[in-house]
Amino acid sequence: MFEIGLAHYLTVAAVLFTLGVFGIFLNRKNVIIIMMSVELILLAVNINMVAFSSFLNDMVGQVFAMFILTVAAAEAAIGLAIVVVYFRNRGSIAVEEIRELRG
Amino acid sequence: MFAAVLVASGVMVISSRNPVHSVLFLILAFFNAAGLFLLLGAEFLAMSLVIVYVGAVAVLFLFVVMMLDINTAELKDGILQYLPTGAVIGILLLVELVALFGSWGFAPDVEAIIQSQTPPIAQATNTEALGMLIYTKYVFLFQASGLILLVAMVGSILLTLRRREGVRHQKIADQVARTTETVKLHKVQTGRGI
Amino acid sequence: MITADLATVLPELLLALAGLGLLMFGVFHKGDATRVVSVLAILAFAAALLVMAKGDTQSITAFNGLFQVDRFTVFSKGLILLAAAFTTAMSVDFLEKEKIGRFEYPVLIVFSTLGMLTMVSAGDFLTLYMGLELQSLPLYVLAAYNRDNQRATEAGLKYFVLGALASGLLLYGISLVYGFAGTTQFSSLTLVLGATEGAAPSMGVIVGMVFILAGLAFKISAVPFHMWTPDVYEGAPTSVTAFFAVTPKIAAFTLLIRVLEGPFGQLGHQWQQVIVVIALLSMFVGSFGALGQNNIKRLLAYSSIGHVGFALVGLAAGTEMGIQGVLVYLAIYLFMNIGAFAIVMLMRRKGVAVEGVDDLAGLSKTHPALAYVMAGVMFSMAGIPPLAGFWGKFYVFMAAVQAGLWTLSIVGLLTSVVSAFYYLRVIKVMFMDEPKGEFDRHIGKPAKLVLVLSTAVIILFSIFPGPLLSSAKVAAQVLFPG
Repeated sequence: MFEIGLAHYLTVAAVLFTLGVFGIFLNRKNVIIIMMSVELILLAVNINMVAFSSFLNDMVGQVFAMFILTVAAAEAAIGLAIVVVYFRNRGSIAVEEIRELRG
Repeated sequence: MFAAVLVASGVMVISSRNPVHSVLFLILAFFNAAGLFLLLGAEFLAMSLVIVYVGAVAVLFLFVVMMLDINTAELKDGILQYLPTGAVIGILLLVELVALFGSWGFAPDVEAIIQSQTPPIAQATNTEALGMLIYTKYVFLFQASGLILLVAMVGSILLTLRRREGVRHQKIADQVARTTETVKLHKVQTGRGI
Repeated sequence: MITADLATVLPELLLALAGLGLLMFGVFHKGDATRVVSVLAILAFAAALLVMAKGDTQSITAFNGLFQVDRFTVFSKGLILLAAAFTTAMSVDFLEKEKIGRFEYPVLIVFSTLGMLTMVSAGDFLTLYMGLELQSLPLYVLAAYNRDNQRATEAGLKYFVLGALASGLLLYGISLVYGFAGTTQFSSLTLVLGATEGAAPSMGVIVGMVFILAGLAFKISAVPFHMWTPDVYEGAPTSVTAFFAVTPKIAAFTLLIRVLEGPFGQLGHQWQQVIVVIALLSMFVGSFGALGQNNIKRLLAYSSIGHVGFALVGLAAGTEMGIQGVLVYLAIYLFMNIGAFAIVMLMRRKGVAVEGVDDLAGLSKTHPALAYVMAGVMFSMAGIPPLAGFWGKFYVFMAAVQAGLWTLSIVGLLTSVVSAFYYLRVIKVMFMDEPKGEFDRHIGKPAKLVLVLSTAVIILFSIFPGPLLSSAKVAAQVLFPG
């Protein structure tokens, strides 16, 4: 067995981060999945923070991770509220149909 | 092991066709992340991750998915058309980031600047150590996070609560406020009406 | 110790308590409380401004370096509070006419402003992040505030998704910086990065800084993170757009200056290139994008992208003079935009709001006063001397020229000429075209006040530039000790 170092944790976080970003850009179907991708990004950040905190022997990373957790929950609540309101108006949450406003 | 399952379920979250499956995979991902946190010695965060995410956020997601009742049939696959370019860019980004991690080393004189060193486990558990910090050094931010949660609450109520006309409510205050003066008691004899 | 800390955050504390109090008041108030709560919110802003102005203007840090107050933060907080008070004042009438007045609106504005104040005086990435989120969450809600309107909810959805992505990027950047430098505090970060002077700075910190830059660029809607701006500006209710266009931009911009000149000051060469590119792109998109727009809110959105580009020129210069120019620019931008949006809010015919540029046709005949004010604002935005907008541009370009950024200043001048074209088109429509019918006559008192004030600032700045210039100079000096 090889030893698990910081780089491994960071790699996992980076993979999750990339997945999250591409979940947002590639998704053509469903806004809720986009919001889950955002959660994945935040999870990746949290893994980063805790890994650094553990290897630096510093609590700040964990404090930061805890605040991120709090804010992420609040953000999810607001996001889902917006999705619900949007759905009531449109009857669909497919990403491709979000084009009333053209940039 | 945790990491492998974590990544696999992350892939499933964004590629799953049925949103309910996505949510379930998200929960799996969070469980595995909590496992990673345990390995890193952050027990409190691991537990709160499970409680906050699996218990609250994921259920909220599930609730909304079910409430919106999206017809799974209408979710045709359109993901493939962007996949090749997306995958190439994604892998490039990933390789760069991973290459970056190889270069990680302790910053020079990092010991000097660390603001709050982790106390040895004999002195305080992880939860205690975290608590010592957020109620002293970071109390300002602790209050701010309270405000953020309040704003989230006000915001979602503002957006989704509707007062409907013509719905009958039970007015408990009125019922409780009744006294013998407002209610007339009749003694009804058997076999007769009032 | 804790008392001193609390004294430092007194303006924020005041706003937080005001927000909570207003929320309770609104809930228990019988009937529609929007107007009362709005007035009280404006009073709270004014009180916070007073407290801040009376407070100590020395540089202080509180809460173990989480929070810092100095002249720079006082200057930008003053602007933010002013902008918040003005936009709240303007929106009361608008909300009532649109029949979407609810007391949560001013409460959310108060909380959002509180978030901005917090992030402007952040002394640590943690504070920065919490302030930023406290600012953005109410904004997401406000964008979707008109919840029965399809376009408003769509605007809210777009803003939310992109905003959440931006804060994700920002956080990832912060985590990298934390890991590679070992600290999140600005002051220790300066020390760490200063220690490696001469040697190449750690790659991780640079990558992290780029992520942070991307996240903040979204908040000021600089190209290439500007896609949301026109859509959100058009979709959201006009009063919300007015708030969006002014207040969070000033906050995010001062934050950007603080972060780049503070902890990342040592990496000047790295970020300067990025800022130059962003500034160039923003100026281009801002001026060419607006050419084909007929909706006045979209036009103002592109114009604000362009203005951000011009202001970034000053930041790219990276000198004390450049920062001073940016601060002056932001102050002038504030007054021009609230003037413009006050007029857009008055554009309604028979009770229905209209937003087309051609709806302004013949304004000079139907409402001469409004037409002249609008013309003044447009000339000022186009940067025609002797109005204030010209001086704003003048200072940033002078700083850029002194820093040797010739390309940037030349491109800036060219795009500013292009953008003058569409501002002049608005004026042409107002003064040359045949009237399309009158706007409703009623103009509320707050709207009048705001219009008079913004016109006064636009015209008087070239005569009495002194106070603004000197306070901006004092504020900029804080960032360049010695």
